[in-house]
Amino acid sequence: MQHTLRQVFRSGKFIVGFSILMTILLIVIIYPWVVRHPPLQIIGQGTFFPPGIYVNVYDAIHAPTLYTLNLEDAAANRIGNKLRQEDRVAMKEWLVAFGVPEDEIDIDDTEKLLALWEANYNPDLRLPGMTFARHRYFQRVNASIDGLLSTEPAIIAAPNSETGALEQKALIRQTDYANVDEVANVRILALGTDNFGRDVLTQLVAATAVSLVIGLVAGLIATTIGLTLGLLAGYIGGLVDDVLMFFTNLFTVIPTFVLLILISFSIGQDKRGAITIAMVIGFTSWVWTARAVRSQVLSLRNRDHVNLSKLSGHSVPRIILVDILPYIASYVVMAFILQVSSGILAEAGLSILGLGPRTTETPTLGLMMNWAMIYQAHILGKWWAYLPVLVTIALVSFSMNLMNTGLDQVFNPALRD
Amino acid sequence: MKGYTKYFLNKLGWFAITFVFAFILNFTLPRLMPGDPVAAIVARQAQGISNPTGVQAIYQQYTELFGTDKPIIEQFFIYVRNVFRGDFGFSFSQYPRTVAEVISASIGWTLILQFPAIIVGWILGNVLGAMAAYLRGGFDKVLMPSALFLSSFPAFGMAVILLVIFAVHLKWFPTSGGYGYTLIPSLTPTFLWSAFVHYQLPFWSIVLIAIGGQAIGMRSMSIYELNADYVKFARFMGIKDDKIVAYVFRNAMLPQVTGLALALGTMVGGALIAEIVFSYPGLGTTLLNGVMGQDYPLISAATLIITFMVLTANFILEILYGVIDPRIKAAQSD
Amino acid sequence: MLEVRDLSTKYVTRYKEDVYAVDRVSLKIEEGKTLGIAGESGCGKSTLALSLMGYYFPPLHYISGEIIIDGQNITGMKPDEVRKSILGKEIAYIPQAAMNALNPTRKVIDFIGDVIRAHDPTWTKQMIYDHARALFERLGLPAEVLQKYPVELSGGMKQRTVIAVAVTLTPKVLIADEPSSALDVTSQKMVIKMLRDMMESGFIKAMIFITHELPLLYNVADDIMVMYAGQIVERGTAKQTVFDPLHPYSKGLMGSILVPESGLRSAKLTAIPGAPPNLKNPPPGCRFADRCKYVKPECRVTSVPLYEVGHGRAYRCILPEEELRRAYEHGE
Repeated sequence: MQHTLRQVFRSGKFIVGFSILMTILLIVIIYPWVVRHPPLQIIGQGTFFPPGIYVNVYDAIHAPTLYTLNLEDAAANRIGNKLRQEDRVAMKEWLVAFGVPEDEIDIDDTEKLLALWEANYNPDLRLPGMTFARHRYFQRVNASIDGLLSTEPAIIAAPNSETGALEQKALIRQTDYANVDEVANVRILALGTDNFGRDVLTQLVAATAVSLVIGLVAGLIATTIGLTLGLLAGYIGGLVDDVLMFFTNLFTVIPTFVLLILISFSIGQDKRGAITIAMVIGFTSWVWTARAVRSQVLSLRNRDHVNLSKLSGHSVPRIILVDILPYIASYVVMAFILQVSSGILAEAGLSILGLGPRTTETPTLGLMMNWAMIYQAHILGKWWAYLPVLVTIALVSFSMNLMNTGLDQVFNPALRD
Repeated sequence: MKGYTKYFLNKLGWFAITFVFAFILNFTLPRLMPGDPVAAIVARQAQGISNPTGVQAIYQQYTELFGTDKPIIEQFFIYVRNVFRGDFGFSFSQYPRTVAEVISASIGWTLILQFPAIIVGWILGNVLGAMAAYLRGGFDKVLMPSALFLSSFPAFGMAVILLVIFAVHLKWFPTSGGYGYTLIPSLTPTFLWSAFVHYQLPFWSIVLIAIGGQAIGMRSMSIYELNADYVKFARFMGIKDDKIVAYVFRNAMLPQVTGLALALGTMVGGALIAEIVFSYPGLGTTLLNGVMGQDYPLISAATLIITFMVLTANFILEILYGVIDPRIKAAQSD
Repeated sequence: MLEVRDLSTKYVTRYKEDVYAVDRVSLKIEEGKTLGIAGESGCGKSTLALSLMGYYFPPLHYISGEIIIDGQNITGMKPDEVRKSILGKEIAYIPQAAMNALNPTRKVIDFIGDVIRAHDPTWTKQMIYDHARALFERLGLPAEVLQKYPVELSGGMKQRTVIAVAVTLTPKVLIADEPSSALDVTSQKMVIKMLRDMMESGFIKAMIFITHELPLLYNVADDIMVMYAGQIVERGTAKQTVFDPLHPYSKGLMGSILVPESGLRSAKLTAIPGAPPNLKNPPPGCRFADRCKYVKPECRVTSVPLYEVGHGRAYRCILPEEELRRAYEHGE
């Protein structure tokens, strides 16, 4: 046993797979201790906020101290943020079209460009053949660069409670900085928000945990059923074998996927919890384990040590436990790993069809994918809503397949490279 | 009886049995749920339809069609009779279209998409797997992890990634549908071209997934065969290497045919979901619409058709296998 | 008929390590004679059989030495030339696990066709069939076998078919590696009879017979060579080697005839404790030193040559003949 384990842990493929899986597991376990937000809480008003650090503007203004930092590139950054390269090119296009000589325009010289623009732009003029949308675009550019070169501070004003007139409360200069640590409310949304305005990362971690549990439960059920049936069919043989194999063969060819759809649909949305789905998956995917175990048992049944055990009058359960199980253990472990990973994939498939666990309590990887698909995150370019989910699914399943390949090479030396 | 006839009849019988069994499952599974599900579903569904005559029509038709007031055995035979007539009733979600209409509009798309894709994936996967086994070295070291990673990928994931890269970013292909939405299905060049362009992404996402699993299987089989005793003997009898390689790959590929038959169910399942990602007008998308619209008759019919397709393909593969692998005939004759 | 001079070959493992499996082996077989090779499993006898073919492919590699078949030196020939004009025609090989030696998806006749055409592509189907039929009749095998797939044949029939296929091109030398070990007693007898008949009728001119079953070897072989760790440790007539072994290893090996389980391929020599040395780094001295009862300090230092003692007899040990015989008498 120890020797086998040592051998297994010498297989590079197994180690890589195992490390990936363990890393995922660790994150899933540790993250909720560090970030204690409820995973399904709707925090964003609106859909698909991009990933980033969200700083509360109100709190930033009211930070205990405002620091003055004289940074040279501050103005340039400010302008760069508002005036992108494509806008500059467009401005040049407009200016050229309205008679400014081309060699006078240098789009990299912001000050000059803006001066030219101020002097020549007229929002009412429309180039011949220019679409309305383009016309509006120039108006928008003009609005956004208004006052870009100004160095005046922004004024914070509040209405006087008696007169109702606005009174200046504070000045925010362009060199004022707040320390993020001193801002009362900062929220890191490393993966932004989803279509409902929920924190994707927190949700993803919770979903990974649930999906792993689903895979585990499904795998346990499938392996238990498959192992039991395979042992019975293989060891007892005769009529028992015939009957069990008849059903096993039936369920081998009838697509599991169809059974999953039918059962999940029949259970109904209200009764479909994550564990229910896991059980359904487990009950429909034992076939391969049963077949593999049976053929292993058949080849073991007449080995010398089993015969010896029989002659010594050991009971059937004892023979199975002592003389057969240890020899097929490696196959069972491999089958189990495979079942877990295919269980996770099955849940994802079902959820995309809208037959996953009910959506109210727990997220799963499949449900997250389902929502992202329904709200077209992939077409809208909101990668953070679907890509991390896909990567997680692929990593979990890849790591398990890798572990299995490693095990396979340990137990079937011909496959080694 | 001659070996092959026996094999053929055996497989035919098995095909019939599995189909009957699948048919019974398809009928009973929804009815095993507590209450009178068909009636309940009809009642629940009818609320969703704004057209009151529609509700009435559906309700009456279902009580009649499924005989929901009769004992379950009788209901079963009514169901059998209806299915053989191709009568699956009205679709709840797409009333007044019948289920038969909805299914027949989508089944062709699925057939044209999935079976070529699975076959191409199988062939490419086998070629790559065989090459990995024969060449080993660098090729193998790159191919195997990639194949493993590919096969770990869910089919819908591959679909999403291809879609984002080639349709959303590069804009080489359309993002969804089976043909341009302004077109009406016909045999005009415009329509065929449009259908062809829409076909590419769903097709390749299924192919890529199939390649991964098949390549891994073929590599293992080929390595096993390359180490077989007959290879050594043939070599020492002076047979040329290319001839021996032909022996090996033929022998390694034969089990891959059965492998395909067994993997078919899973592959079709994955491919149906890939359809959904592309809103391809096939059975997968129909199934999704059925689920969204709580359309029981549509789901029931779609799953039945899918099962039938998979079982038939399976049967054809088994028959083919019997023809190409001489061991089958030999094994049957004693 | 067959002469081998100082043949050395090695295996290259997947970690690029060299395993020196055959070390400077020389042998000579006269026409009409059968040479037996004995030794534990893993002693290099199967590798020697492969090496004698003069056709090397990974992981087996040629190092040095010469193989001369019927006056023709084949070690200098190009591999494809060896394949075309030597393999099957001059020298043929019956593999150890002959049960699986035939391509399961090819009819026997088709495989025979492949073999013939690999050497001469001009043969027609009819010529091949006529030839194969005549061959099978001559060897006492039913002609129906030709139209069958290997799975349709019983174990014994399959083995005899493999032998027939091996001699399709009437090779002069036949190398049989454990040709009967996986068979039941009746089939074993038939296979041995077939091989003997071929030798006696002069159908093949010389045979090398490899087995760990000494009683069988004694019956079949004229001369016996004992191999240990890739080297020949003793050579002599069958009678001499079996009843008057000189090398301590041969002595132990012959003693193992009495061990009841000697029929099992995997059985280790119970008479000699220990295991053969690792051939990645063969010991500098006598390779048997670690297991030898009569080991002397100098045995571990200098390599021991094969001492010729006349009449074709030779052994690889520093102790004189007489001393060894005396030790055996007292030791037993």
